[in-house]
Amino acid sequence: MLDWVKVLSRPESRAGIVGWGVYIPRYRIKALDIARMWGFPEELIKSLWIEEKAVGAEDEDAVTIGWYAAKVALERGGVDPKEVGAVFFGTESKPYAVKPSATIVADALGISNIKMASDLEFACRAGGEGIRNAIALVSAGFMKYALAIGSDTAQAAPGDVLELTASSGGAAYLIGPSDKSVAIFEGVVTYVTDTPDFWRRDLCKYPKHGEIFTGEPAYFHHITSAVSILLSELGLKPEDFNYAVFHQPNGKFPLQVGRKLGFPKEKILPGIVTPWIGNTYNGSALIGLAKVLEQAKPGDRILVATFGSGAGSDAFSIVVKDGIDDVAKRGPLVEDLLKRKRYVSYGEYAKYRRLLIKV
Amino acid sequence: MVKVFVTWSSMIKVGRYFDKNYKELVKEVIDSLELGNKHIDYLIISSVLSARALNQLDISTMIAQYLGLNNVKTSRIETGESSGLAAIEYAYYLIKSNLAKNVLVVGIDKLTEYPTQVTNEHYNLILDYELETLRRVSPPNYAALVMKEYMRRYRVSREDLTIWPIKMHENAVQNPYAQLRFKVSKDKVLNSIVVSEPIRLLDTFPIGDGAAAVLLSSECSTECIEILSVEASTSLQFYLRDDILELPASKAALSKVISRSGLSSSELKNSLIELHDSYSIYGMLLLEELGITDKGSSWREVSNLDNINLSGGLKARGHPLGATGVYQLCEVHKLMTEGLGGNVFDGKYALIHSMSGPDYNARLCLIRRGE
Amino acid sequence: MKSISIHWRNKDIYYGIVVTECLKCGRKSVFKWSRCPYCGSRELRVLKSKGLGVVRDYTISYYRGTEDLESYPRIIALVELDEGVKLIGELVDVDVNEVKEGMRVEAVLRRVGSDDPNGIIYYALKFIPTLRG
Repeated sequence: MLDWVKVLSRPESRAGIVGWGVYIPRYRIKALDIARMWGFPEELIKSLWIEEKAVGAEDEDAVTIGWYAAKVALERGGVDPKEVGAVFFGTESKPYAVKPSATIVADALGISNIKMASDLEFACRAGGEGIRNAIALVSAGFMKYALAIGSDTAQAAPGDVLELTASSGGAAYLIGPSDKSVAIFEGVVTYVTDTPDFWRRDLCKYPKHGEIFTGEPAYFHHITSAVSILLSELGLKPEDFNYAVFHQPNGKFPLQVGRKLGFPKEKILPGIVTPWIGNTYNGSALIGLAKVLEQAKPGDRILVATFGSGAGSDAFSIVVKDGIDDVAKRGPLVEDLLKRKRYVSYGEYAKYRRLLIKV
Repeated sequence: MVKVFVTWSSMIKVGRYFDKNYKELVKEVIDSLELGNKHIDYLIISSVLSARALNQLDISTMIAQYLGLNNVKTSRIETGESSGLAAIEYAYYLIKSNLAKNVLVVGIDKLTEYPTQVTNEHYNLILDYELETLRRVSPPNYAALVMKEYMRRYRVSREDLTIWPIKMHENAVQNPYAQLRFKVSKDKVLNSIVVSEPIRLLDTFPIGDGAAAVLLSSECSTECIEILSVEASTSLQFYLRDDILELPASKAALSKVISRSGLSSSELKNSLIELHDSYSIYGMLLLEELGITDKGSSWREVSNLDNINLSGGLKARGHPLGATGVYQLCEVHKLMTEGLGGNVFDGKYALIHSMSGPDYNARLCLIRRGE
Repeated sequence: MKSISIHWRNKDIYYGIVVTECLKCGRKSVFKWSRCPYCGSRELRVLKSKGLGVVRDYTISYYRGTEDLESYPRIIALVELDEGVKLIGELVDVDVNEVKEGMRVEAVLRRVGSDDPNGIIYYALKFIPTLRG
């Protein structure tokens, strides 16, 4: 039984999820095709649990992906765009190094000019930080609604093992007052340190990473820290959660970190999408969360932990309210987007993602 | 009442003139003009790509300067693909209103000045830039949608519609000024490169340079070829039309010509006709719109028609954009006087049609052999 | 170099679909006009389209310009919007042999003309087979 007094005791519970949206491009490339191109052993694919990844078409980028996700989020929430007071765009594949993506999406959706707007960068967790900003602004009464988007067309150096998973996709969350929400934030904790596990220098085309260093000192340490602190502050245990959604650079890591924290596989699998769409970076945990919201029941408690290299993790405890079914129905489901696919060859993927140099 | 006559015409073979600039082509085409004691009151230039491929504004002045014409009135007329007839229309009105006695109209364009892909982009600008061009719609896309609708409505096959390019090429073999002077077969048409399905390369005009010129005068001596009227109209945007098989501007221009001239249906059908077949489907639709054949059956009659596009039309004679309308008048003038490639037309009337894009604007020029 | 002002001032017709309704003759037309294209009246109302519609006809275009060479062939479709107006637009995310007359489509934001790595990026609406059941 949920103790609603306790659930609603922290300031973040004044805000919740009013609507959400996801966009996954139609095209897929099989991980095996990439592995064969560069001579990676097939067993590597299995050990990472990556089958195929989503490839953005040549006319798609983080902005177009974020736009679609945000459009659906607004429609799901049934909210007039003019009532949105902030747009945060979390991405590490901004089309412009300088010029915000948030403003393009905002104007394209008819959001009021009186608003906050910015692009956030923190590798894969910028979308999560956007949600935290939105929660803070709404709970403090600065605005009624705020939009947080996490969207990427992640690039990896051709031939680098990262290429097996780096993909395109995004999600958006419309945060609003808890009485307009179908899921509220029981608690949030963010844990951040300076840990250089993955980076991209200015003017470099592709990122570099610390391979095994991206594991223990980065992904695992930050997620387990954020989640442990959250659980301790809320006085909760893994048994109190119905679902646990983690940032998923591949299919295996979320299961491993879940196990470390004491979450059984069954609670983690529903939120796993990476094996079929790749690591959508800022979309990763947020698409997993959307998938879970689309099957969750009122009263369910969901743990979400993002992770961004550099490094940091947000841990959210989300409690689902009545009305979630109706809101879910108002837009394309993650299940439907997962089913929409057409395979492309390595050549087509290279053309779409501009790996080919055209002078 | 002032009358307007075509007293001289000249054209160069439509083709690729990499070695000559537009000024040299103009000089070549007016070389045979002997004015005698006549004086040119106006020089009107028709050029669509002046500011693009030819990199030239105020092209009419540049041409006047190049030709050594001092202190002459000039201007350039542009109305998309129908610019040539628009220039003739302007000249006609100048003479008709007694403001000029002799007007020299020259059409000039060079489509080979830049690679085809660049020329394609220039050509796309005959549609609305912000609403069509920037949204990646081009003229052949419209022609393709028209062709599909025609095939669907009249249950005509793609093979049946190859008759137009076949006939045009046959005609062009006899026109020494045509760009493509070779026959084509049904298979050749069907297997040519797809432009915008179902429009294939051999359904549309070739890329070429051209220059043509005519002298319009208020007096004529022998073999008087009179311009009875020139009418024009614009029409609705393609996507706002209720029936995309209608060519509303051409229809409106025709009805103005007929009401002014009293031309009968049989006189029209027996006229010498040069019409704007930028795409083969437009050629066939125009036969229907102009009342030469019934709706849906023009493709059946094309082989029998021996007075349509004897030049080879835009399809085989070529379509150097701004020059095309002037070519059409030249061809009619020659066919009605000295002959063109051994062909002569004895009849009384000639009708010249030109339009831009999917009939965004259309012009009709009615010619009569003088008494 | 692309014009900055052209795209910026036309945001409402590149980022959205605008429909003009004539209060005199009742006819609707896509885009904004100062007079009704059908009857010439100035009594007009402007609506925003939901961006949903049906493919009425289409052509597969290989007609090449100099930009976006990776996006050929293009499917150019005549779409009839649910608001009862027609519009020409590009259809993407669909195989050439999957396009059917009558298929439901929705308008989505995509990049156009983005070859210049230093210039501004134009975004405009294209159509995809609808993702909404």
